[in-house]
Amino acid sequence: MPTSFELKEGQSLPTVEKNIVQDNINLYAKASGDFNPIHVDADYARKTPLGGTVAHGMLILAYISQMMTDAFGHNWLSGGRLNVRFRAPARSGDVITISGSIRRVEKEDGYHMIDCDVLCHNQNDEPVITGDAKVKVKANENRG
Amino acid sequence: MAADKDIAYQNLKAGQEFPPAAFQVDSATVSDYLKAVEENSVIYRGTGIVPPMAVAALALKALINAISMPPGTIHVSQEFEFMATVNTQDILTGRARVSRVQERGKLHLITVDINVANQKQESVLAGKTGFILPVE
Repeated sequence: MPTSFELKEGQSLPTVEKNIVQDNINLYAKASGDFNPIHVDADYARKTPLGGTVAHGMLILAYISQMMTDAFGHNWLSGGRLNVRFRAPARSGDVITISGSIRRVEKEDGYHMIDCDVLCHNQNDEPVITGDAKVKVKANENRG
Repeated sequence: MAADKDIAYQNLKAGQEFPPAAFQVDSATVSDYLKAVEENSVIYRGTGIVPPMAVAALALKALINAISMPPGTIHVSQEFEFMATVNTQDILTGRARVSRVQERGKLHLITVDINVANQKQESVLAGKTGFILPVE
């Protein structure tokens, strides 16, 4: 069920916090079929400029999608849009906070078009992913 | 979105299309995926609904399998639009097309457009993936 909150500009979305652990990176590799050694082979990754394994970028996007699903429910699954840039890798041991806020709300033919800023940052406040997300919500929808 | 590693990235040209690839996201894969991303939304509990990022990840997997990417490839940008809910029974077809190739010094910037449709030929997902690859 979507978290109940007001659809107004400046409103924060429900934050998601995740501990990045190698076990989850390995599980994600299995589920997605992406076994690039930079994600799953510590010996290989140690010899690269990254110095160690990093999480799949798509794993972190899954966390953004989780935040948007928590906020907007089925509207996100069918009508959501995401546009992001990967700024820095997320590593095992990192704590990633996924946050967002509503930048603009526009009424359009019985719908609200919600435009959100999204940000993933690590425990050192370094941005890992930045971007925006859009979602279309029925104007009279009971969201709580 | 073809057989494994059959296209060298140096040969990619704007406008190039990959052969379509059919795939299905079964309930075991959804279960593994939800565990990996620690997602416990009731939306996915026993409903057969596939998380949209799982569809996206598997569509990208087919693309990555088709291109021989060099070590040092970085996924730099991503756009997605989720047009319709996907269920575990759906048979999906992913299509990918190179929309831009740029060479900047020792780097290649490659943008690939992705579209996924269900068995009714309805688009369920569209995306744009940006990679930076070192020039070898």
